[in-house]
Amino acid sequence: MATDWEEIRRLAADFQRVQFADTVQRLSERNCIEIIAKLVQEKKLDVVHTLDGKEYITPAQISREIRDELYVHGGRINIVDLQQIINVDWVHVENRAIDMVKSDKGVQLILGQLIDDAYLNRLAEDVNDKLQEAGLISIAELCKNHDLPGDFLAEELSKRLGKLIQGEMDQYNRGVIFTPAFVARHKARIRGLFSAITRPTPVSSMIGAFGFQEHLLYSVLEELVNTGRLGGSVVGSRQDKAVYIPDIYAKTQNTWVDSFLQQNGYLEFDALARLGIPDPTGYIRKRFKSNKLLFLRAACVGQALVDQVEASVEEAVNSDTWTDIQPILPSCLSMEDIGILINQAMRSTNVQSSARVLGETVVVSEKFISNCLSLFDDAMQQKAQKEVKNNPVFLITEDDMKQASMLTESSATSKKDKRDAERRKKATEGSGSVKSGGGGNAREIRIRKTKKKGRKDEDSDEETGPSQQNRSKQSAAPFMAQEDIVAVLGERVSDCPEEILSELAEHLVRPLAKTYQEVLRTVFMSSTSSPSRANKKQSMKDLQEEIASLYNNIRLFEKGNKFFSDETQVHIAKHILKTLCTDVTNILVNFLAADLMMSTENPGTITNEVRVKILGKLSEEIKGPLMKLHNCLNGKTVEDFLTNIETCAEVCGFMLKKGDKKRERQALFLHRQALTEQLKEAEDPALVLHLTSVLLFQASTQCMLHAPGRCVPQIIGTLTGRISTEQQQLLSAYQSLVVKQLVSQNQSRKQQQQEEAENDKAEEQEEEIRNVRTQLAVLTPQVKDLMLSQRKTSVTED
Amino acid sequence: MADDATRRAVSQIPLQKTHAGPRDRALWPQRLKEEYQALIHFVEQNKAADNDWFRLESNADGTRWTGTCWFIHELLRYDFRLEFDIPVTYPNTAPEVAIPELDGKTAKMYRGGKICLTDHFAPLWARNAPRFGLAHLMALGLGPWLAVEIPDLISKGHVVHKEQQRETAAVE
Repeated sequence: MATDWEEIRRLAADFQRVQFADTVQRLSERNCIEIIAKLVQEKKLDVVHTLDGKEYITPAQISREIRDELYVHGGRINIVDLQQIINVDWVHVENRAIDMVKSDKGVQLILGQLIDDAYLNRLAEDVNDKLQEAGLISIAELCKNHDLPGDFLAEELSKRLGKLIQGEMDQYNRGVIFTPAFVARHKARIRGLFSAITRPTPVSSMIGAFGFQEHLLYSVLEELVNTGRLGGSVVGSRQDKAVYIPDIYAKTQNTWVDSFLQQNGYLEFDALARLGIPDPTGYIRKRFKSNKLLFLRAACVGQALVDQVEASVEEAVNSDTWTDIQPILPSCLSMEDIGILINQAMRSTNVQSSARVLGETVVVSEKFISNCLSLFDDAMQQKAQKEVKNNPVFLITEDDMKQASMLTESSATSKKDKRDAERRKKATEGSGSVKSGGGGNAREIRIRKTKKKGRKDEDSDEETGPSQQNRSKQSAAPFMAQEDIVAVLGERVSDCPEEILSELAEHLVRPLAKTYQEVLRTVFMSSTSSPSRANKKQSMKDLQEEIASLYNNIRLFEKGNKFFSDETQVHIAKHILKTLCTDVTNILVNFLAADLMMSTENPGTITNEVRVKILGKLSEEIKGPLMKLHNCLNGKTVEDFLTNIETCAEVCGFMLKKGDKKRERQALFLHRQALTEQLKEAEDPALVLHLTSVLLFQASTQCMLHAPGRCVPQIIGTLTGRISTEQQQLLSAYQSLVVKQLVSQNQSRKQQQQEEAENDKAEEQEEEIRNVRTQLAVLTPQVKDLMLSQRKTSVTED
Repeated sequence: MADDATRRAVSQIPLQKTHAGPRDRALWPQRLKEEYQALIHFVEQNKAADNDWFRLESNADGTRWTGTCWFIHELLRYDFRLEFDIPVTYPNTAPEVAIPELDGKTAKMYRGGKICLTDHFAPLWARNAPRFGLAHLMALGLGPWLAVEIPDLISKGHVVHKEQQRETAAVE
């Protein structure tokens, strides 16, 4: 029992002890996480939880683990792998890795990989093994194999060069590592190869042909060249353009250039380029610094040659001759270069003003040119005289034209004009004429005449076309055609080449033409002033008489004109103005022109324009009335003209006597006489009718008549009542026949144009025409008789 | 019964084998030994689960037990004295646990501060007598009552923490 109680006490004691024992402090997992989060938040604890959230880990532990993993993985581990192994957030891993790299020199972080020195050493050993095997290894290849950046590898490997790696790196190109053996082998090859080269050789082609390492080749080559082991130089940039030029080649090249220059006195850039000198000008400048070379466009010329040119130029100038530079110059010089050279020579010898370059290579002294000009003096004189005789007025007009055209053409006679001139010359020559320029001019006047007067001038027909054309373009009256000048020069200056002559001629044409004009003028002056006073007086008298008789005739005609109706009067008056009055005016004008040395030999040739031109030259007081006279030629009444001519005659110093009866009768008689003579000769029915009617008119009215052909019907009309009816009938019959004939002639002409479409009709008409002709043939003598017989009666009447 | 945790805890408390009361001179020490072993076990268990919440000691013959119990509410520990006698009819009737401090403060209590366990605990005890012991009394009787009543009392202001009591007293 007691033991029980004893046991109970012990149990009670145990119970107390149990109750007062420490309680185990237990936290739930949730609480723990919260507490730690709180602590981390308050920075009282620095831990990192793993990705699965089941563990916490301190940064130090991470570092340790990273280190361990690095070791396990052989010194190189990717941070991504590391993160998977350590199983914490990537950021922590990276941070720790960066810290590690900072604190530990032996570890580096490359491309997200941790790499330590042990790894690099091992890598270097690997590389060394490979290098010893291959002799050369490129960093790029290593990069590919080891998946590391080139710069890093190059740096790390260069640190270990000479220690772990038995080799060297190219100084210029850090991408390659060599073993000394390899380099030596290479060097030997390069030395051998380049020693053997005798010609400029592009280095790149050597690389292609012999499989050199480009980078090594350049450095070795440079070294060899610099040390003098190789006699030569590398020209051009480093890469593909580099050319190795051995000294031996450069030497031969230089000697060639030297000797060429010495022998020939010039150097052609092309030739140097062919020799393989890339920059000939620069090369020459460098090589011949001391020599005074003249650089042209495509060559350079030595002083000797320049001196030679200068000497010949000077000589030509001093001796007043010419010289061709081309023969003394090398043939390879271009025209341009020759021009430059000659200009240079002329500048240096100071003869620019006294010489001139023709045909690009020929230097001609100005004196020589002026001498040439003087060669033409005689010919010029002769020609001028001939010309003056031909037609002075034309010359004057030419002068006027020249003045006008000079304004437009004076600046420069273009080649085209020259060509035009030549063509004109050819045209004139082509016409078979041997005459020179003056003759041509005369002919041109004739052409004009034919045009205005409508007269035929067959022989000049063929050249009307071209000369008409030239007419508009022609400027000065040229002295000679260029070919002629060339020919003359060729005779005198025998040794000149043809083209120089022609160019010289080109130069001479203008001054010659100018001097020719002057000569012409002087010659003309002297010729016109030569006639004697007596002669002049005589001609004056003749003129006065001529004018007076014409004047009287006009008056008489005017009187006769009064018999007609107004309309017919106008026609007749116009006719008179156009024929007789114009003649009178022309005579007057020509007389005045003679004073101004512009007269022509035949006043009849003066046309409207010429007249105006001459009038323009006259003094004011004479010009006024004469202008009026000239104007009334285009008027309608003869009276105006008569009054004007009176004043004009006074102005000109002529006396116009009004004819007395006796004179008038004499005039009438003379007129009739002339008409009957004409009638006797006449064959054409129309003319016969015309003359007959005019004569009949004079006979019946005692008045002279000067009427155009188309007024014949009116004349016959006025005759009615003045002549017998028989005569009247005869005339009218004849007249109708004449009309018929004229009409049928017109018709037949037309029909011919219609290619005789209606043969019947044509035949009919032909028959008719034949009828008319026979009738006319019968009647013509009758009509003639009419007048001729009447003449007798009238004569008897007189 | 309260919760699974309690149920599990209770199931681990060793059951009494000896059916004897204090009057039973021969067997009572046996019973008492068993009671002590159960209590020790229970306390060890509580402590292991960080759930220690009472202290008990008995007189020499093990008929009267005194001690303290505490309840942690809102991070404050409320301590109460407790006492009970082993009734004569033990183990057929459960001892009546008294917390004199709370006398008159709650309806779930008899005169003299004895807690009212009749509703749930008494039938449970009756069903399990004589196998239930003091450890069961604490675990299934007092524990649940405290868990229910103390927060209620605190919220009503009938029970004030000692430090606060002191503070209020100092204020007054």
